[in-house]
Amino acid sequence: MSVKRREKDLTLLEKIYIPEIVKGLSLTLKSMFKPKFTLKYPEEKFIPPASYRGRPVLVQEKDGHERCVACGLCSRVCPSLAIEVQAAETELEKERYPEKFEINMIRCIFCGFCEEVCPEEAIVMSKDYEMAFTNREEAIYGKDKLLVPVEQLQDRIDFLRKYK
Amino acid sequence: MERVTKEEVPSKILQALLSTDSDISVDGALENEMILNMGPQHPATHGVLRLLLRLDGETVIACVPELGYLHRGYEKMAENMTYYEFIPHTDRLDYLSPMANNVAWAMAVEKLAGIESPARAQYIRMMITELARIASHLVAIGALAMDVGALTVFLWTLREREKILDIWDILCGARFTNSYTRIGGVANDAQPEALAKVKWFIDQYEPNLDECEKLINTNRIFIERLDGVGVISAQDAIEIGFTGPNLRGSGVEFDLRRATPYLFYNEIDFNIPVYKEGDCLARYFVRADETRESIKIIRQVLDKMPQGEVLANSPKKVLPKKTEIYSKMEELIHDFMIVNFGINPPVGEVYSAVENPKGELGFYLVSNGEGRPWKCKIRSPSMVNLQALPMLVKGHMVSDVVAIIGSIDPVMGEADK
Ligand code: SF4
Ligand code: SF4
Repeated sequence: MSVKRREKDLTLLEKIYIPEIVKGLSLTLKSMFKPKFTLKYPEEKFIPPASYRGRPVLVQEKDGHERCVACGLCSRVCPSLAIEVQAAETELEKERYPEKFEINMIRCIFCGFCEEVCPEEAIVMSKDYEMAFTNREEAIYGKDKLLVPVEQLQDRIDFLRKYK
Repeated sequence: MERVTKEEVPSKILQALLSTDSDISVDGALENEMILNMGPQHPATHGVLRLLLRLDGETVIACVPELGYLHRGYEKMAENMTYYEFIPHTDRLDYLSPMANNVAWAMAVEKLAGIESPARAQYIRMMITELARIASHLVAIGALAMDVGALTVFLWTLREREKILDIWDILCGARFTNSYTRIGGVANDAQPEALAKVKWFIDQYEPNLDECEKLINTNRIFIERLDGVGVISAQDAIEIGFTGPNLRGSGVEFDLRRATPYLFYNEIDFNIPVYKEGDCLARYFVRADETRESIKIIRQVLDKMPQGEVLANSPKKVLPKKTEIYSKMEELIHDFMIVNFGINPPVGEVYSAVENPKGELGFYLVSNGEGRPWKCKIRSPSMVNLQALPMLVKGHMVSDVVAIIGSIDPVMGEADK
């Protein structure tokens, strides 16, 4: 338990204050030799765990098609209205696919709700946290930037199946 | 020529000035009061708080806190979205302890809709609210020390807080805006790695806090800046509506975890730190002691945490598990229904409050049977605690105002809603 002092309980030594300065300096000096807690960011990268919610991406199957069936549930649930989906018909077994799928990365708050409600495991949160734009148009990611091969997302998908 | 003495000079000049044809009027120069605008960009007001201070020299005669610079209309926004969609918005109320806000919102909606969350989820919720309490108090302690001039403490307490954010990272995947609870439980089960990290954290926390305290608790400057500053009596504190550590710093032993036990707090053994002086120092002591009690609570929670589900099994109200959505038709339909139309709680109203780090955070919800709340009122502790500011700063120096704001520990995201 720590000492708790009020002004009237201060001892003479504490009132003189110089010993306090010495004590404070010795404490801070000691911490100089402790292991560093900070990360030297651009050189040292932060490697996120599987549960990390980075930017949402679309899962690309091995044959090159996206898994998404353009049901629009993710754009309905998105609290910040960041997603736009436009559906179209396709000859594939899934019958529908997103002709246009856009996420506005300035609006997105990385809540992970789109991933949580998607019935097809088609949109998942990646580990990508490095995003910088110079203008607003650049921040609207279309399918070209959103599609990521399924192999790269495997540990997130495993995490979802195990814990969600 | 007539000689003027030194004393007469000012009045002569004055007369000369006034006798010419001008509209100058002169008051006693030393009797003026000054209005000082402190904030909204002032770094010591902890966010966008604006204080209008009427000063006599350096002494504050009167103060008017101006709130609303961070107003985002959350109460109105809640009426336009489903209960589920509002979860990320609660992160942004008290942004120093988003986890605790998530829990408060989920509990309010569960009370409204009559959902019982499973035991494991409730224990996880207790664990995260207590960790959030520590995270929030660490900022409060560090910022208070920094406001009165001790920068090192701020760096050290933030280092401890960073470890908690690392736990969030593993547990829910976000450091700051967690959105971890769900209606009927929590978003995902606590992984063994996350629990191991919590265990590691609580074992190393107390020596580190002691070290921070060694820097300031016997430091004469720190104590003299806070002792007897911003005193509020128990009576006044109750009348203003103080809650949380601020109230307990005035000698009132009131804690919602004890007064109206929620989750499993009635099974947990913990003390409520109370100091009777009601000044800034007492509020600081309460916060430091509370983090130690939180450690005690987390230790018991980890021991008692059962295995099992973390989401209630209530198909029409709680989102089904992901693997079931992929494979079963019924779950798929419920997924669509809940997301599109909401959970439609019965017609009625509830008020549900929890003990947040800053005080009593309450949600008053009125449902008319639709998927979205008909009315949502947020009782935010910072907003109420700030109302005491005029009373607290009266008669103190401008530099004490900074210490007093630090000791009240307002978060503007919550005060302005
Ligand atoms: S990503 Fe998922 S939820 Fe969104 S439209 Fe495609 S299938 Fe539906
Ligand atoms: S992560 Fe959240 S905010 Fe971002 S696109 Fe998905 S639902 Fe919308």
